[in-house]
Amino acid sequence: MAAASSRHNRRKARNTLMMGLSIAAAAIGLAWLALILGALVWKGAAGLSIAVFTEMTPPPGDAGGLLNAIAGSVVMTVIAIAVGTPVGILAGTYMAEYGRFSKLTIVVRFINDILLSAPSIVIGLFIYEIMVRPMGHFSALAGAFALAILVMPVVVRTTEDMLNLVPNALREAGAAIGAPRWIVIRSVAYRAALSGIVTGVLLAIARISGETAPLLFTALNNQFWSSNVNAPMASLPVTIFQFALSPYDEWQQLAWTGALIITFAVLMLSIVARALTARREDR
Amino acid sequence: MTQMLSPTSIAASRPVTEEAKLEVRGLNFFYDRTRALKDISLSLPAKSVTAFIGPSGCGKSTLLRVFNRIYELYPKQRAEGEVLLDGRNILDKGQDLNLLRAQVGMVFQKPTPFPMTIYENIAFGIRLYEKLPRSEVDGRVEEALKRAALWTEVKDKLNASGLSLSGGQQQRLCIARTVAVKPEVILLDEPASALDPLSTAKIEELIDELQTDYTIVIVTHNMQQAARVSARTAFMYLGELIEFGDTEEIFTSPHDKRTQDYITGRFG
Amino acid sequence: MTEHTVTAFDEDLKAVDRLIHEMSDLAAAMVGSATRALLDLDNPLAQRVVSQDTAMDAMQRDLDERAITLIARRQPVAADLRSVVGAIRMAADLERIGDLAKNIAKRVGAVGEAIPPRRFAHGIDAMTDLVLSQVKGVVRQYEERDAEGLSRLRADDEKIDIQYTAVFRELLTYMMEDPRNITACTHLLFCAKNLERIGDHVTNIAENAYYIVTGRQLSPDRPKQDETAILLAE
Repeated sequence: MAAASSRHNRRKARNTLMMGLSIAAAAIGLAWLALILGALVWKGAAGLSIAVFTEMTPPPGDAGGLLNAIAGSVVMTVIAIAVGTPVGILAGTYMAEYGRFSKLTIVVRFINDILLSAPSIVIGLFIYEIMVRPMGHFSALAGAFALAILVMPVVVRTTEDMLNLVPNALREAGAAIGAPRWIVIRSVAYRAALSGIVTGVLLAIARISGETAPLLFTALNNQFWSSNVNAPMASLPVTIFQFALSPYDEWQQLAWTGALIITFAVLMLSIVARALTARREDR
Repeated sequence: MTQMLSPTSIAASRPVTEEAKLEVRGLNFFYDRTRALKDISLSLPAKSVTAFIGPSGCGKSTLLRVFNRIYELYPKQRAEGEVLLDGRNILDKGQDLNLLRAQVGMVFQKPTPFPMTIYENIAFGIRLYEKLPRSEVDGRVEEALKRAALWTEVKDKLNASGLSLSGGQQQRLCIARTVAVKPEVILLDEPASALDPLSTAKIEELIDELQTDYTIVIVTHNMQQAARVSARTAFMYLGELIEFGDTEEIFTSPHDKRTQDYITGRFG
Repeated sequence: MTEHTVTAFDEDLKAVDRLIHEMSDLAAAMVGSATRALLDLDNPLAQRVVSQDTAMDAMQRDLDERAITLIARRQPVAADLRSVVGAIRMAADLERIGDLAKNIAKRVGAVGEAIPPRRFAHGIDAMTDLVLSQVKGVVRQYEERDAEGLSRLRADDEKIDIQYTAVFRELLTYMMEDPRNITACTHLLFCAKNLERIGDHVTNIAENAYYIVTGRQLSPDRPKQDETAILLAE
């Protein structure tokens, strides 16, 4: 009895200790996040005004907004998604459906994983070499392509994972009524994996909307409004980068506000992605 | 292997027509190097129910999956021998798999409704092979649902998701979907093992009705179910066909000791 | 036979078989006692047979209940199903054998103080021995799963039928010899008829047992040797 109870007490003590350590670790992690978000809101909210969304980036010392940067980010993100998503989905589909048992899939998955964790500045340099240098100038298109390369591995990965989650029984059921492979994939597998794939795309958008490095050598920046994708274009992250480094108060304020806007946009996308995944799990 | 009728067996409650719909001759099946079916030969009469029973891993599902060549979805699986559907070898290289599967339908252990509406679940298969005006598709959907004894339960919610139905209803939806394509043979792979007794009874009643028009092959772990629904029963063990004969014979006086031991619950 | 995976199943089946065994022992004892009581006009022995019949009825009801419960709970098939359904039918035959023995025993009172039947017992004794060996043999061979023996045993019923014809003729002779013998001999005649019918029940049991053991029915055409019907018609 006594031995059992002392062992019980020892276990309890050890449990309390481990629990305390875990909570402390979690608290430290969360504290930094809270500090960052707090600072961001504190500093960024001060500069929030209609002008931020309606006026161009100002010259040093002047008041202005971030309209051209926001618009540039949106344009490049849209092009990047438009280019990267179909390629990513098709590659993911090959890996999960047609090439599920082939060696090529294993190789592609390995390379994709490397790409997924590749430093984005390397991607920027790569595009610089194959697009900016031959064309002789920076361009939004080059920036969009750099982002597209970042989009692809994310979409490939999520598409493959989501399609792999579709039960094989469903594919067999499709095949069993005489449906050809591509119809089974299109009408059954995609439908079953839809919310997962959309979530993947949203996560990809979230990832590229904060990227600065690949844009530095590709889209560069633009002080003014530009709708020409063959010319340099402003983007939020690069603008923030540039303004934050500057000695001017107005620019620094705009950088904080821009950072807040990006963070908020990414947060919204994450929430939408979460909501979609959750709905899928409900079913 | 015995394939005989005892002289004393009473006339089967469901007369077995002698016309063979499916005939298997010297069939061997391989998962990579493993031989899962060993020299199977048997012939399944048309418009009646044949049950495959046997312990897990005996090859009964494998045999079923040869009949619509669904195993071709996976690499390293292959069948050797002959499987004649109306005298035509479906294992021929030239066999169109999708056409074969439209002819030989299959219902799986777990209900597998497609992620679509109830209506679409059935119309999907119909539209694959027939270009019909909407009104005619409507008629075919209704007919299939009625055939599967599901119509009265779903007629007011055809646009609801197929996944919103109960397990038993989902399984009947899958049967309706299979029937809608107008197959000749229906393969049932443990169709009621995930269902409660009432849903099971409905499925069995359905099987009983469907056999007037279709040749039905059912794989089941539930021997009582095999005894209830089938006219003929095949007992398989370790990839071999041990005994094949009239169900009543198998369940009252099996010839092989292994069959006897299995159905009476004396297996190792 | 190999054991069931579920051991309780085996126990249930064994309990049913044990009852069949006990009933057949009792049936044999009753048949032996009943004829002896009749031949010796032994009233206490006759009373014992009558009370044994009550025990026999109780055993049959017990067996029926066990068998039905077993079917409901275990859903036996093949050999198991045959043995349970067969047991129900064998028990019914054994119970009828008990009834027939009781019927013989009851005649002790009816014979009254007439000439002791022992004098005419020559043929009846032999017939009783035949019937007893059949009653004891059938369940033993069932327990030994001896299909061949069961088939032979069924054929042996012919001997009882022949013996019955002989007893019939013998008793007829006694009655023609001296009308005072008629009362005793008539009762003995009924006794012989009962013994012959017990033989028929044994035949039923043998057929049942054969089906249980083999899963096949014995061919229905068994030689019939009861010629009394023809004799009477003459």
